[in-house]
Amino acid sequence: MSENRLDTAAMATRYQKAWFAETAQRARDGQPIALVNADAPHEVLRAMGIPYVVNQWWASIISAKRLGPASLERLAALGLPDFSQQYDAIPLGAHDLPVEQRAWGGLPEPAFAIAERSGDVTQKIFELWGEREGTETFLLSRTGADPVPSAWWEKVPHDWEDAFGADRLDLLQAEIEELVTWLSERTGRTLDRDRLAQIMDLGNQQAEWNRRTRDLIATARPTPVLVNDTMPAVMVPQWHRGTQWAVDTARALHDEVARRVDEGVAVCADERRRLMWVGRGLWSDLDMYRRFHEEFGAVFVWSMYLAIAADGYPRYGADPVRALAARFVGFTDQLYVPPWSAQWYVKEALAHGVDGVVHLVADDTPGAGFISEALEAEGIPVLEIRANNADSRSSGSARIPERIEEFLRERVPARA
Amino acid sequence: MQSAHSLPGFGDARARDRPRIGVVGADLPRQIVLAADAVPVRLFGSWSGAVSLRASELLGAVDAVAGRILDAILAGDHDDLAGLVICNDSQANLRMFYVLRVLAERGEVPFPVQLLDAPRGPGSAKKAFVVAQYVRLVEFCTAVTGAEVGVDDLRRAGDAEQSVAVALERLRERRVQSRCTGVSALNAYRAAACSAPEVAVAAIDDAQVSTAEGDRIFVTGSAHPDSGVYQVLESTGATIVAEDHDAGDGGWFAACTTGDSAADILAGLASLHADRPPSAARGTTAERVTALRRNVIETRGAAVIALVRDLDDAPAWELAAVREALETLRVPFVSRTRITAEEAISTSSDVVTALAVREGAYG
Repeated sequence: MSENRLDTAAMATRYQKAWFAETAQRARDGQPIALVNADAPHEVLRAMGIPYVVNQWWASIISAKRLGPASLERLAALGLPDFSQQYDAIPLGAHDLPVEQRAWGGLPEPAFAIAERSGDVTQKIFELWGEREGTETFLLSRTGADPVPSAWWEKVPHDWEDAFGADRLDLLQAEIEELVTWLSERTGRTLDRDRLAQIMDLGNQQAEWNRRTRDLIATARPTPVLVNDTMPAVMVPQWHRGTQWAVDTARALHDEVARRVDEGVAVCADERRRLMWVGRGLWSDLDMYRRFHEEFGAVFVWSMYLAIAADGYPRYGADPVRALAARFVGFTDQLYVPPWSAQWYVKEALAHGVDGVVHLVADDTPGAGFISEALEAEGIPVLEIRANNADSRSSGSARIPERIEEFLRERVPARA
Repeated sequence: MQSAHSLPGFGDARARDRPRIGVVGADLPRQIVLAADAVPVRLFGSWSGAVSLRASELLGAVDAVAGRILDAILAGDHDDLAGLVICNDSQANLRMFYVLRVLAERGEVPFPVQLLDAPRGPGSAKKAFVVAQYVRLVEFCTAVTGAEVGVDDLRRAGDAEQSVAVALERLRERRVQSRCTGVSALNAYRAAACSAPEVAVAAIDDAQVSTAEGDRIFVTGSAHPDSGVYQVLESTGATIVAEDHDAGDGGWFAACTTGDSAADILAGLASLHADRPPSAARGTTAERVTALRRNVIETRGAAVIALVRDLDDAPAWELAAVREALETLRVPFVSRTRITAEEAISTSSDVVTALAVREGAYG
């Protein structure tokens, strides 16, 4: 099946490795870099010329190098919990591993650690980064998802004042301004707001290309791409959001998918069942996604990574700081907070014409059952699986492939 | 300010007739609810008891205390409430709000649900956000009770809460003077969070129990929604003289202020909130340890115990820094993490034993 892999995915992965090596070298040469949470306002750093590494992405690299357990052991040795929010905490532990053990040569000491106070623990982890020599921490507030007007994906690009509420935006906008001042005091750099506006525009262009790609895949029959291939092709450029490279890569992905559609490429030769994967990617077993092609003609046509890149990021507005606040004030609310989450997954399921949904239920989100319930109410059968997406022991004991096979046999009839 | 006993509108008989507004979490300024002629009733949950599969699946992996509160709500145990305010003071409580908002919309809970989202800390932007939240809270209470809330109502409620605040100050002094056990204090705090002011004052002043001569314990870690674990700890002869969790000294009981207008009073409450002691789930470890160190010295704590429930992870991230700070004070410290309901009592006994070993002459 290797002929089905996307060139864009391979190119993005190569680019990321080269980018990290260059960024690490710049940091070792004395340039300040930042370690940021995925939902922090990265665009400010880009506009101020401060390179940044996303904590969750870095955790995925450490985990892929099988250094997660050693990293957690380091935390435990310091008297810190090795059982709590492990994915966010792994980079902290990995930072103390012997140099020769560190993934990709290790993350240079960041000058800044920046996160929003989501959950109860993220702030504690980032606070610990700030206790290291040479690193300072900045924390932003994270307000609750209230209000939650229906059909958020229609509102957030332009009507974000209504979508999130002015009070929430006022607070985050003010805190982003505080972050700008804080960074200016430490780097001597100022924020060029025209530059920030350009970066916001590039981020919107990237989202527009992702939307076109998502819409193309939604209507394409048969499905031209593997979901586990679109994940890196979308996520790596996401960490470079606001650059021309990210826009060009999103466009390249679109063009490659369009070519495949034109050429009638099918990742599953005899597509008879279209499946949606709700939940985080099954990193511990990515091959699982194409395991049902042959016997069942069942192909996963949807995962959240491309879809949220299409719907979740665009924010248009004259004031780039307020628009940036609108991008992040409720980003994860779009995916995980009911009723927004359930409404969006139903919209996407219907648009993609799926015949069944596999819902990997995360235990760190509320009301996951509302999503399954809403999909079933539309006549779409749902298989709920409770397992850790990154832990092969957990996914193995959950018998994911076997249960999907049973689900396909019993609840998802083949199309004629 | 006047004594609550002399205040019209806050008598016990009236309180029985007034709407009750439930509260989950520790961020509510009761003054606002009282001004709307309702009685705020905090739902604490408990250390022990099963959590239903439904509650577990609705909330995901969270502190079981939240699951027990949700179970009680879904079972109809609180159907007498006129409304429910849920504070965004922990991830567990925020998730409970998200779930109950949907269920209330469907009519599965018989009262409206309101989020109180009050990020703590300095700064005008945060304060403006919190004031806006208080305005929404006023509107919610007014909708629930039908009572308009004006400056006079807020002042009157503030006077009543002030009497509770003064009673709590007396309580804290008694604890330091070994004239009140931790169990009694915890129950008094519960009264302050669940009763009309004059009822609370009486309950708080009743909490006067001679304590044993054992060690003076300071409790940190998870909140104690009931006194079960305190009973075990104090059954050994120790006395819990203070704590920093939100069911005790670390909570926000009887916060009140006055002003020339309703807006002044809400702004005053927001200022008080900004300056509150930090909680584990929302404060930084540095803030928490600074406060703990000061409190241990002021209350003459001879040892510190931290019991951290399973999935209540924020306190677990503080333990290393707490240990380091207490070593400089030469105060013994024992902690346990990931405690389940089944383990709560045995673990409590175990920490007392561990403390005895550390001190050499405990109890």
